[in-house]
Amino acid sequence: MRRELLSALRRDLAARRAVVLATELGAGSSRLVHPFDDGGADALSGAAREAALRDESRTVETPAGPVFLRVFNPPVQVFIVGAVHVAQTLAQLVRLVGYDVLVIDPRRSFATPERFPGIPLSGEYPDEVFAGRRLDRRAAVVTMTHDPKIDDPALAAALRSEAFYVGALGSRKTQAARRERLAQQGLSGAQLDRIHGPVGLDLGAVSPGEIAASILAELVGCLRPSKKRGP
Amino acid sequence: MNAADLYQDALLRLAREATGAGALEAPDATATLDNPLCGDRVTFEVRLRERRVVALAHRVRGCLLCEAAASLLGQAAPAATREEVLAAGASAAAMLKEGAPPPGAPWAKLGLFAPVQEVPSRHRCVLLPFETLAEALRLGEG
Repeated sequence: MRRELLSALRRDLAARRAVVLATELGAGSSRLVHPFDDGGADALSGAAREAALRDESRTVETPAGPVFLRVFNPPVQVFIVGAVHVAQTLAQLVRLVGYDVLVIDPRRSFATPERFPGIPLSGEYPDEVFAGRRLDRRAAVVTMTHDPKIDDPALAAALRSEAFYVGALGSRKTQAARRERLAQQGLSGAQLDRIHGPVGLDLGAVSPGEIAASILAELVGCLRPSKKRGP
Repeated sequence: MNAADLYQDALLRLAREATGAGALEAPDATATLDNPLCGDRVTFEVRLRERRVVALAHRVRGCLLCEAAASLLGQAAPAATREEVLAAGASAAAMLKEGAPPPGAPWAKLGLFAPVQEVPSRHRCVLLPFETLAEALRLGEG
């Protein structure tokens, strides 16, 4: 790979911009395609977009011959709002699976390094955290505090973003009240429908660890839409 | 006691008035305190002349009680000294913890917080703005 190509690729990755390295297998020449923000101008946009959405590098046939599309997606990042018991396990699981994680809780007595060894923590309010970093299509947000003053701003920001997964801990009754509050903040029915709540796959989870596992499983399912399961 | 008892109309109004909410252009001092147990966070900015408040502004991330208490300070604290704010904070604490009567003008609206007496876990929500303003005044006096 040429040095300037590599530099451009590194810049894109640092900026969390999805990029596809397209290599003509006949000629061996390479270039970068930005699947989500080149306005479809590139002849390979469509194929690159499909590959990036599936997070799956592949060879495609073109009039000029076969082209290998190598996908570089930004890392998945999971924002856990609420440094609660379930979050302690969920944060570790997320990290083990290979995603980036940030635990957010303005209640500093909960978000401590002792409770979350090795996990990045923020003591700011979630909307303040999200103002500084875009919630993109590789971001997931899970709220767990049960306190509207902390959970609601996180959900409002997440629902207005491209985040691929938005989950909210809480009973059906809590979910209904939350829906009403967020609707008053101007969120549409379609936006509110994106909330996964009660959160997590229905595995009959009981312990905090099991609930964490059910949330992570649901999140992975949303990241990787399968043809079998539907989108 | 349920939320409706705690958040009576007058208290809701006081919170919504949000007197003093905002920022000062050139504050002499700024203080931010938070309650690490519930996430309430209050910032006070002040300008002082001869140890008296001549302008103040606050920003609250917190519950309604915290917002209402900051709004009360926005109404009652202009022209106050640090000692007067500390005394008002002490009166608020005595009212919440020991059932003492609320102080007179300009702090009489503290009486609105009387129902919080019965919920010790929320006392700090009311007192945090007092502590924060007192801290800003301490810093402003240098």
